Amino acid sequence: MLQRAEILGVRDFYRDYFAVAVLIGAALLMVGAMLGAGRLIRPVRPQAEKYVTYEAGSDPVAGWGQSNARYYIYALLFLIFDVEAVFIFPWAVGLEGLGTFGVVEMTVFIVLLALGLVYAWRKGVLRWA
Amino acid sequence: MNPTIDYHALAPEIVLTVTVAVCLLVDLVARRSELVPRLASLGVLGAIVPVITLSVDGANRTMFGGTYEVDNYALVFKGLFLIVAYLTILVSFHYIGEGDYYRGEFYVLLLTSVLGMTVMASARDLVTIFVALETITIPTFALAAWRKHDTKSNEAGLKYFLIGVISTAVMLYGMSVVYGVSGANKLVGIREYLVDTNEPALFAVGVFLTLVGFAFKVSAVPFHFWAPDTYEGAPTPVTAFLSVASKAGGFVALITIVNIAFFPSKGSWQPVIFVLAAASMTLGNLAALRQTNIVRMLAYSSVAQGGFMLVPLAVAADVSSNSAWEGVVVYLLIYAGMNLGAFAAVIAVARRTGSAEISSYAGLGRTDPALAVMMTIFLFSLAGIPFLAGWFAKLVMFRAAFDSGTTGAVILGVVAAINAVIAFFYYAGVGRQMWFREPDPAVERTAVPTPLTLNAAMLIVTVGVLALGVYPQAIARLGELAFTPG
Repeated sequence: MLQRAEILGVRDFYRDYFAVAVLIGAALLMVGAMLGAGRLIRPVRPQAEKYVTYEAGSDPVAGWGQSNARYYIYALLFLIFDVEAVFIFPWAVGLEGLGTFGVVEMTVFIVLLALGLVYAWRKGVLRWA
Repeated sequence: MNPTIDYHALAPEIVLTVTVAVCLLVDLVARRSELVPRLASLGVLGAIVPVITLSVDGANRTMFGGTYEVDNYALVFKGLFLIVAYLTILVSFHYIGEGDYYRGEFYVLLLTSVLGMTVMASARDLVTIFVALETITIPTFALAAWRKHDTKSNEAGLKYFLIGVISTAVMLYGMSVVYGVSGANKLVGIREYLVDTNEPALFAVGVFLTLVGFAFKVSAVPFHFWAPDTYEGAPTPVTAFLSVASKAGGFVALITIVNIAFFPSKGSWQPVIFVLAAASMTLGNLAALRQTNIVRMLAYSSVAQGGFMLVPLAVAADVSSNSAWEGVVVYLLIYAGMNLGAFAAVIAVARRTGSAEISSYAGLGRTDPALAVMMTIFLFSLAGIPFLAGWFAKLVMFRAAFDSGTTGAVILGVVAAINAVIAFFYYAGVGRQMWFREPDPAVERTAVPTPLTLNAAMLIVTVGVLALGVYPQAIARLGELAFTPG
């Protein structure tokens, strides 16, 4: 740990973050250039319909729209298995070295996660009604 | 390349994890809802068994490349967290059971939070501390908002959630700066870096932000404003759990990180803790004086008690022995007991009168003497009256402040002394209501008997507070043990 601290002094720390600043600058410049070019090239013919918010082809409802709370639950369930995947990828790479131990550990992990799905299923969350 | 895992050292966590899974499944299939709290309490007691065998064994067990350590320090806190969890289950058994829904989930979330606490006691690197802290906090957001149809409970949950997210963000930013400067993730590594190097000013920024994050979690002034609203709106057993266990979890992280990692860089953390301690004591007490609702009063009192706990921490760098660190631990252990007792008594009274206003305590000494005696013991212990446990907690706190002898420490000691006097007034005010006022005929009383579990919890705490008051050596020994390498 200590050697790393010496290599990565504070000046290097700032130098690393200079790269981040350059990246942000480049991103801003690129977006600006693309939008600016569009503005210069495109013809301008305003029509009322063009200013209506696009909502999947149908006319938008005035005022506050309510999004269905069910989407939220599906997003949550998706998240569980998204996280699972994040852990399974590196595990799969090292599986040969880990052997039986690795299989058992991952089984425990997946079973614990699956409990969440079983819970959601038993509570009737998965039914779209 | 199989990692060797010390299953004995991890047994408390494994038992808790299995209990959580079993509780969740049982709740799905069982028809009788009281099965889950029974299983949960059994699981917590089961997790205490390996804590005892590990402390008898006494060896330091280091795991996962030094990021996880099971030593005396960790075991003392694991014991505390599990006992508090058991008492919380006792206190909540009827309260949640008589509510209308989701009894099983309550205990699943509660135990998950406790699991985070047991991990926290052993965490020895920034990432593990962070993960443990989030495991403690995230279930409690849902617990605070438990009474779905009560706007106050919803407000409590939402406030707690927003503050939790903000404090996490601030703390993570601080931790990332600390890691960026020191290049170490393990606490020991950060300490080595500080000993070997003259740390740059940026390091102090990282320490400051990390400590501010913790200050939110332990509701230290000026980061306390969420606590009274959350405590008042949340179901009272949850409030008891938040003000005792969650707070202790935050404190354990604070002690670990300052004691092991930041310690050599005294200039960066000592002033922050000093200001937090002085402000928490003073503002907490002054605000508590004006409260008419007992839960809000106890909320501000717990802010003030947090300030008292920070006093030994603020002077720890100037005390040559371990006595200041032991002071924090002793104060934390005693505070947990007496505060839990006070909230249990509040629940018991609210069952009769349906009110948490201090005025509804009038004449309690006449209508229910046993309950009034226990409530008086808890409040006087919080005030630090001699021969109750809280007195010894205050004693070790003052001893640490005056042992160090620096001007700053003496000033802090004097501030603490003034505050101890202020605190006496509002604790005694409730006592006066209970013993010297006639029962208010306007308050409707029901004659429902206090449930056995609630009585048992209060009785256990009462016995503990009295026993430790006359024999404080027992808890002092625990504090000493925590900082004795095994």
